[in-house]
Amino acid sequence: MRHRIILVCSALVLALVTVLVVPSFLKAQGQEVQPGGQGQGQAGARGGQAGRGQGGRGQPALPPKAAPRWPDGHPQLGALAGERGIWGSCCGSLSNAQTPYQPWAKALYDYRRNNEFEPHTRCKPSGGARQFVTPYGTEIVEMPELKKVFIFDIGGPHTFRVIYTDGSAHPKDLVPSYYGDSRGHWEGDTLVVDNTGFNEAFWMDRAGSPHTEKLHFIEKFTRSDYNVLDYEVTVDDPGAYTGTWTNKFQMRWNGAQELFEYVCQDNNFAPVLLIGSEEKVDRTSIIVP
Amino acid sequence: MRLKATLVFLLLAGLALTVSGLAQEGHPLTGVWYGDYGVNTTDRAHLTVEMAWDGKNVTGIINPGPDSFPLKVATLDSSKWTVHIEADGKDPKGAAVHFVADGKLDNIGSYNRTITGTWTYGATKANFKLRRD
Repeated sequence: MRHRIILVCSALVLALVTVLVVPSFLKAQGQEVQPGGQGQGQAGARGGQAGRGQGGRGQPALPPKAAPRWPDGHPQLGALAGERGIWGSCCGSLSNAQTPYQPWAKALYDYRRNNEFEPHTRCKPSGGARQFVTPYGTEIVEMPELKKVFIFDIGGPHTFRVIYTDGSAHPKDLVPSYYGDSRGHWEGDTLVVDNTGFNEAFWMDRAGSPHTEKLHFIEKFTRSDYNVLDYEVTVDDPGAYTGTWTNKFQMRWNGAQELFEYVCQDNNFAPVLLIGSEEKVDRTSIIVP
Repeated sequence: MRLKATLVFLLLAGLALTVSGLAQEGHPLTGVWYGDYGVNTTDRAHLTVEMAWDGKNVTGIINPGPDSFPLKVATLDSSKWTVHIEADGKDPKGAAVHFVADGKLDNIGSYNRTITGTWTYGATKANFKLRRD
């Protein structure tokens, strides 16, 4: 009788270990298989709800919910009428080991990794992919009747950029600006956006990849299903790189959130980031604009 | 009324130029640099250097204005953040000289980064300091 009790208890303990510990171990090792199986972009996508495949533990994966579409057949990149929702952030670092830096640009990138004086921290707008990095996400609002797409930041300077989809070309003699000039067109289910006219007053990613006024971005937005926005960016800047380079990311839909008030004040009182030299931060320096 | 409008225009134009000039995060040498050079702390000549990066070379001029002269050589060694500049111009007494400057770039992440080093013209070896504005 006593042996039977011990045997039963041992079996129970073994079962508990199997149920509780093994999955955690596998997860820690990165072996957990996600239903639906799609990996993230190189920098990963954060925030938002579950993306592809909505099968629960022990249940077969459901097919992903299809992207909503406009009457003309194009996928809707933003929320439906009456719906709330934003895209979670992405694209922390555009560059990787294959990025073809010019020597000065690589040296400056390395320097910035240790001296994070990013203008974004002083409430300056950041163009291109950097717009999608703020931790609160972005809202995309399409206005087909105006042939414009707006991308609103939540964090940072809480501002927006306009993508013109009326078939017009970039204006000549653009005055360089933080968001540059964006012109988009549809190629199948993908919105392709050509961007130029950037100033040099921002970092184009959070990691500090440098750029010059020669910067030319091509972005591709594809809402591959209801919860996933595939984002591809090609960087063409002969002032800072020896060739063009591309990276891909994913943003995930967060249907529980919408734009909220976010005030970024450039008050220059975060001493570590905002004023003084990197070597000796103090409050005797002039205020950084 | 016209005077007031002109003043407002000049103020806005100056503000725009100041803002665009200060906000620069591209090539570390691009911008307008102010400072001076001299053999000691009291006998110094004003120095303004304007530099730009075209993707392959640094170009620029020294002391923009009627007495400006172009940079013949301007290079950045980003492995050490050292700068080498050469130009043909005039010394503080107006004599034609060949300038050779070798300096070190500091506070690279700051808009107001600096270059300090030696400023040689003819047989004179001076020091210089430039601060980017």
